[in-house]
Amino acid sequence: MTPNTGQVPEFQGAQRRRPGLRGWLLFSPLLLWLVAFVVAPTCIMFVYSFCQRDELGQVVFEFSLSNYGRVFDATYLKILWNSVLYAGITTAICLVVGYPVAYFIGRASEGVRNKLLMMVMVPFWTSFLIRTYAWMTILKSEGPLNGLLQYAHVIAAPLDILYTPTAVVIGLVYSYLPFMILPIYGSVEKLDNALIEAAFDLGARPVSAFSHVIIPLTRPGILAGVLLVFIPAIGMFAITDLMGGARVPMIGNVIQNQFGQARDWPFGAALGMTLLLLFAALFALTVRKDEDAAA
Amino acid sequence: MKSMAALLQLLFVSVFMLLGCSDSKPTPQATSGTGTGPAGSAAPQPAPAALKELNLFGWSEYVPQEVIDGFTKETGIKVNYETYASNEEMLSKLLAGSTKYDLIQPSEYVIEALVKQGKLEQLDHTKIPNLKNIAPDMKGLAHDPELKYGVPWMAGAAGIIVNTDKVKDEIKGFKDVFQDKYKGRIVALNDSRELVSWAMATHGLDANVVTAEVLEKVKPTLAAWIKLVKTFDSDSPKTPLLGGDVDLGVIWNGEAALLLKEDKKWKFIIPAEGAHMYIDSLAIPKGAPNKVGAQMFMDYALRPAVSKIISEKFPYTNPNAEARKLLTPEQLNNPASYPDLKGMKTFRDIGKMASDIDKLVTDLKAAN
Amino acid sequence: MKLVNLLLASWSTLVFAFLYLPIVLLIVYSFNASKLSVVWEGLTLKWYGQLWRELVAHMGDERRSTLIESLNNSLIIAGFTTALSVALGTAGAWLLYRYRFPALRSLTTLIFIPMIIPEIIMGISLLIFFKTVDFELGFATVIVSHVTFCFPFVLIAVQARLAGLDPSLEEAAMDLGATPLKAFFLVMVPYLLPAIISGALMSFTLSMDELIVTYFTRGPKSETLPIKVFGMAKVGLNPLLNTISTVFIVLTAMLVVLAESLKGSGRRAADPR
Repeated sequence: MTPNTGQVPEFQGAQRRRPGLRGWLLFSPLLLWLVAFVVAPTCIMFVYSFCQRDELGQVVFEFSLSNYGRVFDATYLKILWNSVLYAGITTAICLVVGYPVAYFIGRASEGVRNKLLMMVMVPFWTSFLIRTYAWMTILKSEGPLNGLLQYAHVIAAPLDILYTPTAVVIGLVYSYLPFMILPIYGSVEKLDNALIEAAFDLGARPVSAFSHVIIPLTRPGILAGVLLVFIPAIGMFAITDLMGGARVPMIGNVIQNQFGQARDWPFGAALGMTLLLLFAALFALTVRKDEDAAA
Repeated sequence: MKSMAALLQLLFVSVFMLLGCSDSKPTPQATSGTGTGPAGSAAPQPAPAALKELNLFGWSEYVPQEVIDGFTKETGIKVNYETYASNEEMLSKLLAGSTKYDLIQPSEYVIEALVKQGKLEQLDHTKIPNLKNIAPDMKGLAHDPELKYGVPWMAGAAGIIVNTDKVKDEIKGFKDVFQDKYKGRIVALNDSRELVSWAMATHGLDANVVTAEVLEKVKPTLAAWIKLVKTFDSDSPKTPLLGGDVDLGVIWNGEAALLLKEDKKWKFIIPAEGAHMYIDSLAIPKGAPNKVGAQMFMDYALRPAVSKIISEKFPYTNPNAEARKLLTPEQLNNPASYPDLKGMKTFRDIGKMASDIDKLVTDLKAAN
Repeated sequence: MKLVNLLLASWSTLVFAFLYLPIVLLIVYSFNASKLSVVWEGLTLKWYGQLWRELVAHMGDERRSTLIESLNNSLIIAGFTTALSVALGTAGAWLLYRYRFPALRSLTTLIFIPMIIPEIIMGISLLIFFKTVDFELGFATVIVSHVTFCFPFVLIAVQARLAGLDPSLEEAAMDLGATPLKAFFLVMVPYLLPAIISGALMSFTLSMDELIVTYFTRGPKSETLPIKVFGMAKVGLNPLLNTISTVFIVLTAMLVVLAESLKGSGRRAADPR
């Protein structure tokens, strides 16, 4: 999984050995945790996805593949695509917006660095709902944003932002920005000073220094950030509900509904499993590609 | 050493005996009894005593802290108030879960579904004498005609809210709300069953007879309506109304009541095509550990003075006739708090059709 | 170079402004006289007064404030979650970096599952799991659920830092007489610290804000702040929430400043630069 930057030579011998007894012992807490709290619950859901439902929506243990059949309905595929699209846009914006900030923080002096990091996270220690409602207050027709723009005569009538896809993207980017900044910061922070100065000194324009030296060196951080934003963003539904007026359903909404009003747990489980399988496949592909590239 | 051990043993035994003695005191059957030791303790009793703790699983912002504190003060029973935001959330946790709840607050159609599956305890009316306070028109409802399973808490209906400052036309029903001229200025509940029932009302159909044909019939209406809605919100629909993002819509009467209380510009209208009523009740899930305490709480909440507190905080329709006598004329005259519910039917449990309804609304929403 | 720094600084300032925009609103509205926090009605300090009274009453055990209690619960849960997540995540990242075996890829996929799986599914399946093994719901179950989806964040952050690291660093330490354990703690951990801190911050944040999984795995006595807030959304968010958030932020800011001034000019040993 660990992406190789390509700039650093592959290590032989010491790295990548098979774990001995001590190795497995060290692994055991992690393994036990995974088995108990990830594998077991996933298996439960897996079993459920093949079940039928009763009147209340609960599972009845009768084997059936019908749930998976329903998953491939055109509507759900469209909804899934929507979710991927929003997640993709969010990730891209977060990357562009967040990278410079991560770089700035990573290159700052020690004391400043930690303060800035905290400053990035502190807003997110307030409750998600409070933050989102604050955004809704800012963006609404009679809110401060419209008020300011109208006062400055930039616009004549209030902008229709709240309860539109724009608001959803703003909400998503806002929620996930720290999860892009922090991993990239981790990569930036370990960059060698001499290397950076060399990149800038050797006559190249700053853009080249970035694109040819710095960004490739921080690739692991970028990848991590992309992962930590894109994956959770696909399942996100609360922001579309609140800031998007619950008008455009995301796959997260659909799954949520199955355990809610639709009262169809097995179908919800099937949808969830499908999502998982999709990712497992994607993941396997990217890892394979990465390993091939490193070889 | 041996004598020490013997002494200790004697001490332990005597302590246990003393404890055992105090436990065997039978609890009074009256509703104002205090909770004592664990149920089914030492000596044989005519009825089990109430436990010291009560697990209340209710809607968030539906049970005032004052009521809980008052109950605890009087009975010594600690109430653990766990909350949910929708019936289905409650069902998910109740049916999947390992916590033993003593009280839940289901809506009427959920009670029906739970009763069908045998998941509710039958109430002992002799322990809940204050049931007599319930208004006659709140009894005899389809889901629980003899109040065998639930004690009514609050009732109401979903209806039309209008900002008369912005909307000058007269709005009488759903058809007036969902017009093209109000496109993007409407708020609706994020509840697929409600939405479908409104569409069915405009076609003159019974909201409780849901079949595939019926859904096909109302699909075009729904499709048109969904395009006009700015935001779907079941949790706090008054927010977009107050924020000026929408001017009218269909929301819960309780939410509307809060708006009407603040400003005269808000109007609440029961749709001419027809509306349905809902009623939330306290019920006891099967296997509840503290059934005695639960019934004590039910009786406590039915006291007029206590019910009045609930009405003051949450201005829904109070089914307690005696409590209504204690309310101010202002509260009773709020058309959103006390709409005319006469003749309104409640939702019945439609079982698996709920899934089809959800799919229909999801399809229509995604099509935009 | 100077221009680049200036540009970066201005961009970062803009982004920070974006991050704090709703916070500023929050703080301003905590002085809002209106009970319905969406309407502005004038300045007042009464919510702070009410918060103070509730806090005092709660501390003096006169009247349990469910709001403050839920805040306490959230902080405790987040604390434990972060500690455990950091331990599991760091250990996991290091082990994955160190060893190579066929099942490695499947193991990594397993670690990703809690991140991908929709929270409601995870919540319900964990609930059923706990019910099956007869584990009573309470703080422990909430912490376990939180750690399960928080530690992948730590793991990924630490992995990114480990990428391309010269393993001879550790070998060298061991050659110089350190035991593997010492080598880990005296060489690896300081090197990984920025990523560990990143991961810890993410973990704490995620835990503080977690709603859905917590809803399913909590016991009747372990209400957390997000659950409380979610419930309050119906009657219109209690202005006290704005007040609490403001106080929280101000306190955190003060803590950070205090920590920095106590540390002196702040340096960390073994900075690889």
